[in-house]
Parts: sequence; structure tokens; C-alpha cells
Amino acid sequence: MKHLVYFTAADHSVYAWKAGRLELLARFTGDDSGLSGFREFLASRGGALFYAVADLAGEDFHEEQIPYLRGNDREQVVQRRLAQRYRDTRLATALTLGTVTGERRNERLLLTAFTNTQQLAPWLDALAEAGAKLAGVYSVPLLAPALAARLGRRGGRTFIVSANSAGLRQCFVEDGRLRFARLERMVDMAPEAFAAFVRTETGRLAQYLSTLRVLPREGPPVQVIVIAPPGQRPAFEHALISDTRLSFITLDAAEAARKVGLKGAPEATRAERLYLHLAVKRPPREQFARREDRRSYYLWQLQRGLMAAGALVFAVCGLYAGYTWLDESGMRGDARDLRAQTQQTTQEYQRITSAFPVTQTTTDNLRATVDEFRNIARRTATPRDALVYVSQVMSDFPQIELDSLQWWVERADGRAAANPAGGASTGGAPALNGVAQMLELSGRVGAMRRSDYRAITAEVQRFANALRVDPAYRVVRTQLPFDVTSEGTLSGDIGTAAETGEAPRFTIVLARNLP
Amino acid sequence: MSFTAQELKKLVLPLLACVALLAAGAALIAWARQEQREAARDLSAAREAQAQARERLMRIAEEEREVKEKLQVYLRLRELHILGDERRLEWADAMTRIRTQRELPDLRYRVERQRLLSSVGPRPTSVDFFASTMKLEVAALHEGDLLNFLADLRESGNAYYAVRRCSLARTGPALAVAGLAPRLRAECEIDLITIIDRAAKI
Repeated sequence: MKHLVYFTAADHSVYAWKAGRLELLARFTGDDSGLSGFREFLASRGGALFYAVADLAGEDFHEEQIPYLRGNDREQVVQRRLAQRYRDTRLATALTLGTVTGERRNERLLLTAFTNTQQLAPWLDALAEAGAKLAGVYSVPLLAPALAARLGRRGGRTFIVSANSAGLRQCFVEDGRLRFARLERMVDMAPEAFAAFVRTETGRLAQYLSTLRVLPREGPPVQVIVIAPPGQRPAFEHALISDTRLSFITLDAAEAARKVGLKGAPEATRAERLYLHLAVKRPPREQFARREDRRSYYLWQLQRGLMAAGALVFAVCGLYAGYTWLDESGMRGDARDLRAQTQQTTQEYQRITSAFPVTQTTTDNLRATVDEFRNIARRTATPRDALVYVSQVMSDFPQIELDSLQWWVERADGRAAANPAGGASTGGAPALNGVAQMLELSGRVGAMRRSDYRAITAEVQRFANALRVDPAYRVVRTQLPFDVTSEGTLSGDIGTAAETGEAPRFTIVLARNLP
Repeated sequence: MSFTAQELKKLVLPLLACVALLAAGAALIAWARQEQREAARDLSAAREAQAQARERLMRIAEEEREVKEKLQVYLRLRELHILGDERRLEWADAMTRIRTQRELPDLRYRVERQRLLSSVGPRPTSVDFFASTMKLEVAALHEGDLLNFLADLRESGNAYYAVRRCSLARTGPALAVAGLAPRLRAECEIDLITIIDRAAKI
């Protein structure tokens, strides 16, 4: 709930505002006894939020120009101009009226202040002492642009005329900005007389502004929006005849309240109810209270800001988490469906496999056993084929005598599955694919003279070539009895009378890939 | 605008609440994302399982043929006692029998301790392949004796005989001695492979 203090010259009223409805809480006289009552009233509402709306005469308006500045520089210049203009600047402010571009760019300001701050100061002090949060001090004219906008006038020149409890309030708004206002006392009178009074006062205001050249002498008529007291609209429409200077639009108080969004107010209030509602709903940026008077309000705003920021972030996180949860929920659902389908598929598979031949193990083990066994069998062999092959070849070489045979299985990576002790490694032999069986033949050539090295070498080479007849076998190394390669050492024993020793030995290594 | 210590104290609670809300929001997001990741993993696993199950079902005919074919091999392995525990006594019997039948003058062998060759299939019901290396020395009249011995050994069953290496060397001149004196000495290393199927129904 928000509180409003409505200051008039006669008395000060405190209203509660809640959901667009105003409720009168208390009324105090403007003297010391009223102030004491106000302090007592505040005692039970120390931390409440207050808006002060002043509807008093003696509000000065003065137009000035300052260099176009921003930030602290502007603030300092504005404060200096206010101090130059007003003796007491506690309730003074400056409203911008836009910029003027000439030789240099200037900002037009409307300086405004209450010339007698003592009417309000003790009451504002009482609010501060009670710890109340003062949102701002507004005058009715400051709220007039907001009222004009809600009543449909956002541009052009407009007079807003309303009968408030404080008197007849006239505000001049130009292009959505306040230019001037006055408060004229009024007494109770008949609707027709009151309408005529409004007509007269409006004409006087227009004349005054024309004199000040605030209103141009020529140009379109000024729109005058008159908020007639309840039930008096016909009398006002009858009396307020538009002419070339003024164009009247009369609104009933109820209609105006509807347009500004006010849902209810005490019967005793007059048109100020519109301004009070707008002070809460559409408070203007400019107001009269000093920064010190609004400390509690700033603090409260900061507290709310922190809480709001936390809540906002939490809400965003919650939304994101909700979105994620929806996504996750969808995925879980899909996974459940898939698992159900998998179960059905597995059941179907099991139904079919139940008709399979009866095995003495699981299907996986059956497969693993046979596959691995085949792998092992593929990597093994017997020496029979190799020995038979060599035996067949040797039938054509009766001079060749074998001393030893070594057979082993070797892998493609060069690691011997079983490398016989002292056996020749293939080393730089041609690359083997997969696993190969190797056969190393060691022998000699008989029935030839040892000195006939050409014949012996030729015979061994012929034998090696014969071993290549079957393309499945490859001769991967041949060590001749005499090393006739350029890399080897050639030695001889020429001239010896008799040949001694054994026949020269040779070695041939055969390889055959296993399938 | 600067605040007094008392005013700052009034900001502590909202600040704590703000931080708590921020932390709660972050925790909420972290939890939600963790759950989302788990759900994604779950879905991925379910998709994979479904794909595998479908593929397996589609391959059912092929699998039936495969099972039938592999079952024959499996049964043959069992029949030959390759599948099952080692039968060292039967191996010794077989060596003696072959030596006698082939009239081998000299036969020596030594079987090393068993070692694990490989382990396949899903645990704990895996299929383990074991090997025991036998070192063999045979005195033979000619190389045919060795080949016949190896063939007889393979036929005897009780293991799969994987010959790793063999060497043959003359022990004397080829034509020097007439009669039945051994002229060759053969040395071989043979892996005696047996299989233990831990899922097999005894």
C-alpha cells in the first residue's frame, strides 16, 4: 500500500492508494496541532512509502537558458541557477523544455519552486523523522503533462483546467511539457456561475501568457480541457464556447477518472484525485524533494532492486530449468519407448532363437569359441607340406645333400612364433602377409670339386630357382657357398696341391604364407 | 550517494537474499543440465541398444546358419576333448602308443606347465584358451617318421596340437650304415591347446 499526502493551503490529507483506489486515512490542519497529529499518525507507519502532492499557490515558474551540458556539469549549473533565482531552494527543481540551437547550443529550462517552503518543510521533516520512505514531492502542475497525455493530449498547446479542493487549477502544457500554472481561489457557486468563472479565468490566463509571449498572438486555438465536477458537464458545455483563441473540451470527472485508470476515490475529493492517482502511477522524473529527503526511498529501492534482480535471475533460471526439464522429460520418454521396443525386439529374437539347435553353451560363447579356435588354427601349420615340397624338388638335384632342416612359424610383424635356436631370422626378407611358415635348408653340393666354385654356385642357384617353381613358396634368403656379392668377402686357396675339407655349405630360407 | 553504516546494514539481508537466489538459480540450472545430460546419455544408450537388437533380429537367419555351422565345430572340439580340462595322462598314453606303433627307436618329451593363451567372450562366462608347450626329441630313420608321428599325435585328440617349430639334423652319414639305425634327430616344440568354456553345460 502506498500513501499520499495532499497539501493545500487549508489542510493536508493523507490517502492510501491501492490497486487504483484512493482511500482517505486522515486529514490534518496546516498548523502545529495538525503537524502533531501527523507525527502521531506516522508513528504507526514508520516504514511506509509516501508521495507528497502539493496543490499550493506561490509556485514560481521562470524560464532560463543554460549551455547544453550533461551529467554533473549540468547538475551544478542548474543548482547554481536555482540558487540565484530562489532564496530557499529546498523545494525547487528545473524542468527541461528542450534545446535551442543558435550560435551555440543551449538548453531551455523551466525553473520552478515553492516560494514559501515553510508550508511543507516541517511536514517533510516529520516524514523523515518517522523513517518514512519519501518517493518524491510533486506539485499538481508537475503532474499536469501526465494528465494531459492520459486525456489524449500529447502534443500542441493545452490548458488543463480542473476544480481541485485547493481551488481552480490551470496548467499550461506545451508539447507534453509544463510551461505555466496558476491556482485561483474559488467559492461554492452554482454550476452555471462556476462555468462562467472558469471561462473568465481561462481567458485571463490566455491573455497573461500572450502578454508574456509564451502564447503566440496568432495561430491555432489553444485546446482547453476542462474537467467538470460530477453532474455539471452540461452547464460547462453551455458556458464554454470555443472561439479563435480557445477551443474547449469538457470532460466529466468520472470520465476523466476512467481515462487515467482511477477506480475509486472518496466522495469528498475533487479533481485532485486524478493528480493523486497519477503521482503514484505516472510519477514524473522531476520533483521537488532533495536527495537527502529521499534517502530512505533510495535505500528501499536498492533493497527492492536487489531482491528483484535475484528473483528475476532465479525466475530466468527457473524458466531455463523448466525448458531443460521439458527437454529431459521428452528424452526420458523417448528412451522409455525405445527400451520397450528393444524389449519387444529381444523377445522376438529369443522366440526365434528358441527354435535354434540346442547348444551346450551360450550363443556368444559358441561363437567366441569357434572363432578363436579358427584364429589359432589359421596361425598354425605342420611341416609336412614344406618337407614334401622340398623333397620333390630335391629329386632333380641328386648332388644336393641336406644336413639340417629347421621349420618354424613366423608372424608378419617379424616376431617368430617360434624362432629356433640359432635359426636365421628373415631380417630384411620380403614382407610377409599374416603368418608364414619358414623353412631353413642347410646343405652342400656333393660330387663336385671344391675348387669348381662356379659350378657349385650355379648348382645352388639352380636349386634355389627350382624351389621357386611353386609361387606359394618364396626364397627369402640364399647363402651361397661362395659369397660373390660386392658386399661380401671373397677368399680363395689357389695352388694347393690337394683339396681338403668338406664341400662348401649353403643355406636357403623358404617362406610360405599361411592362409 | 554514499550510505551510512546503518543504511548499509539494511542492505545486507536483501544482498544475501539476492546472492542466495542467484546461487539457487545457478544450482537449479546445473541440476537441470546434469539431468538433461544423463537423459541424453540414457537416450543414446537406448538408441544403440535398439539398433543392435534390430540388427540382431534382421540377422537372425544368418545367425541360425552360423550357429548350426559353429555348433558342429564346437561338438567336434568337445568330442576330441580339446574342449575341457587337460588330459595329461591321455597325452602320455598317446605318446607311448604312437612310439610303439611307429617303432620309433628313441622318443623323449617334456610338457611344460599350462599357461593362458587367450580369453574371449563375455565375463564371467568367458572362454579361456590354454596352452602347454611340449618339447619333443625323436630319433628317426627318415623325416617321414617325424611327419607320421605328428599326424598320429594330431589324430589322437585330447588337445589341439600347434607345432611351433621343428628341426631335423643328420646324426650320421647318409649311406654309411646299413640297417635300421636312426639317421636323423628331430626336435620340436608343440603347443597342446585346450579350451575351457565357463558357460558350457556339463
